[in-house]
Amino acid sequence: MKFTIYQESRIGTRQINQDRVAYCYSRDALLLVIADGMGGHAHGEMAAQIATNHITTLFQREARPHLPDPMFFLSVAIEGAHSEICAESERQGLPENPRTTCVVCVVQNGVAYWAHVGDSRLYLVRDGKILSQTRDHSLVQTLVDSGSLTMEQARRHPSRNRIFSCLGGQQEPQIDFSRKTPLVDGDILILCTDGVWGPLEDDLCPQIAYTNVLNSVPRLLNEAEQRAGKSSDNLSIIAINWEEDEEGELICYSDMPTMPMDVYTMPPQGGQQNANASLSDNEIEEAIEEIRNSIKQNLPIRN
Amino acid sequence: MPITQINHPLPPGFQLDEYRIERQISLGGFSIVYLAQDAEGTLVAIKEYLPNTLALRSEGHILPEIQEEHLSAFNHGLKCFFEEGRSLARLNHPNVVRVLNFFRANATVYMVMQYERGRTLREHVMKHRGNISERFLRVVFSRLLNGLREVHAQRFLHLDIKPSNIYLRMDGTPVLLDFGAARQALENDSPSLRPTYTPGFAAPEQYEAQDQLGPWTDIYAVGATMYACLAHASPQAANLRLKDDTLELASQRWRGKYSGQLLETIDWCMQLDYLERPMSVFALQKSLAETPESEPRDSWLTTLNRRLRERVRR
Repeated sequence: MKFTIYQESRIGTRQINQDRVAYCYSRDALLLVIADGMGGHAHGEMAAQIATNHITTLFQREARPHLPDPMFFLSVAIEGAHSEICAESERQGLPENPRTTCVVCVVQNGVAYWAHVGDSRLYLVRDGKILSQTRDHSLVQTLVDSGSLTMEQARRHPSRNRIFSCLGGQQEPQIDFSRKTPLVDGDILILCTDGVWGPLEDDLCPQIAYTNVLNSVPRLLNEAEQRAGKSSDNLSIIAINWEEDEEGELICYSDMPTMPMDVYTMPPQGGQQNANASLSDNEIEEAIEEIRNSIKQNLPIRN
Repeated sequence: MPITQINHPLPPGFQLDEYRIERQISLGGFSIVYLAQDAEGTLVAIKEYLPNTLALRSEGHILPEIQEEHLSAFNHGLKCFFEEGRSLARLNHPNVVRVLNFFRANATVYMVMQYERGRTLREHVMKHRGNISERFLRVVFSRLLNGLREVHAQRFLHLDIKPSNIYLRMDGTPVLLDFGAARQALENDSPSLRPTYTPGFAAPEQYEAQDQLGPWTDIYAVGATMYACLAHASPQAANLRLKDDTLELASQRWRGKYSGQLLETIDWCMQLDYLERPMSVFALQKSLAETPESEPRDSWLTTLNRRLRERVRR
C-alpha cells in the first residue's frame, strides 16, 4: 500500500487561521483529520486545535499498528473531542464553548472509513468522478435535500454557512459515518474546509482527478483563493493519491518543504522524517530569483 | 550562552557584490550580520548565511569550507534561510525589518536589510530602569504586535522575540528584527542545525514539543519580553518553570505600580499551557488596547520625587 499525501492550510484574507489539519500513520493505518474552528464563536481555533490533538493522540495510542475497529475508533475519537472541548471551556470558564467542525478518515488494509460533523467535506474521486462525498450538516443542505432549494440557490443563500452539528455545541454532535469503502489503485481522497470547496464548487473534482496531488492541490488552493478574492476564508486541505501495491507497510510520499505554522502535523509514528536536503544550483537560483521578485514588488520606488 | 566565534567575518572594506563591508555587528549560530554601505553610501545590514557547525571560514579566507558530510545539513539550513527571505520579502510593514536585496556570493547567500538607527528595547530598558511607563508598554507593544500579526498572516513564526530583537527607532516606533530562529532541526544529521531559542523568552513547547508551535509560542515570548521590561532581567526559563515554577506573577510583583489589567495580560501570555494563552495576536492586542478602569495614579508627592531624581541625574 502506497500513498502520496499533500496537506496545506492557508489563512486566506482572514486575520486568524482557525483551521487545523493533521495526518499521521502507523505501519498499517493512516489517519487524516481536518477541523474548521467556527468564527463568530470565540476561540474557534482552540476548538479545532483540541479536536485535532485529541483525535491524533488517540490514534497514536490505539493504532499499534492497526486499529481493532476503525468505525468504533472514529466514533470514540470524535465524541471524545467534543467532550474535551466542553471540558476545556469549562476549565477556563469561557462564557461560551468554542466550536469546530471536523472530518476524520482512517485507511486500514486498503479500506477507507470516515465520519464528519459540520460542513468540512470528504470527497472520494475515482475514474475522474466523485464516487462518494459527505453531506454537510447545514441548513441549506437540508433544504436542498427536501427539494425546497436548488444547488444554485443554496450557493447564494445568505445562511449557507450555518451548520446544525458541530463539536463543542450545546447539543451532542450529530456524527455521520461512511460505509466501509475499499480503495482501488488511482483513488484520490480529499478532505477540505469550506474555504476550499466553497469557491471551487463543481470544479474541485475535475481539477484534481487523474493528477498527482503534490502538483494539483497547491494550484487548486491558488484557484480557490483567487476566486474568493478579498473575502477568502481559511483554506485547508489534505489529499492523497492511493496506489495499490503489494500488501505491506504503508509507504508515504510527501513533499513538504516547510511546515506552515498553522498546520498541526503529528510526526508519523515510527517513521523517519525524511528531510530531502539536496539542493541543485538551479533550485538555489530559482529561490533567489523568487525572493528578489517579491522584494521588487514590495519596495517603494527609489529616486 | 555565549557563542564562541569560530567563523571569521569578512574583513572591513571587503567589496561584497554592490556593497562595501564596514564591520560585523552581530553573530548568531547561523549567520553573521554586517554593517555595510551600498553604492550610494546608504547604510544597510547584511546577513550572511554561515552556520557555525557546518561551514568554516578560517582567518584570511573568503570562501567557507563545507565538508562533504555536512553538505546535506548545510543545504537544509540554506532552504530555511530562503524561507526566511521569502517570508520577509513578502512583508511590507513598518514594524518589521525590511529586506532590500538577496543574492548569492562566496558559496553562500546574503540577505540585505534596511539598517535602522536607534537602539534595542533591551538597551532602552537598561537605560530607563524602573521608569518604564504603562503607556510606553501599551503603545510600543501594540505597534509591535501589528508587525507580528503581519508575520503570522504570512504563516510564519518569529520564535525568538526578546528585548534585544526589538529595535526602537529614533521616533520610538518598534521594529521586529532577526527572523533567524525559525528553523527546524534536522534530526538524523549530525552535527545538526538545532532550533535556537533564548532561555527566559522561549515558550515551553519550543523545548519539548516542536510540533505544537503556533502564534501562541510567539505570544509567550511577547509576554516574557514585557515582563523583562518591568523586571529588567529575563524571567525564569520555561523549561525550569515546568519543573519548579518560581516565577512571580506580574500581577503580584508589580501590583499597584501598573494597572491590574496590564499585569494580568502579561501573566496570561506567560501561561505554561499554550491553550491558556491568548490564541492569537489579535486577542492580545485587544487586551492591550483596553483602558484600565482605575489606572494607578502617582500621588503628587511621588511625582515630585521622581522629577527631582531625574533632575539630579542630569
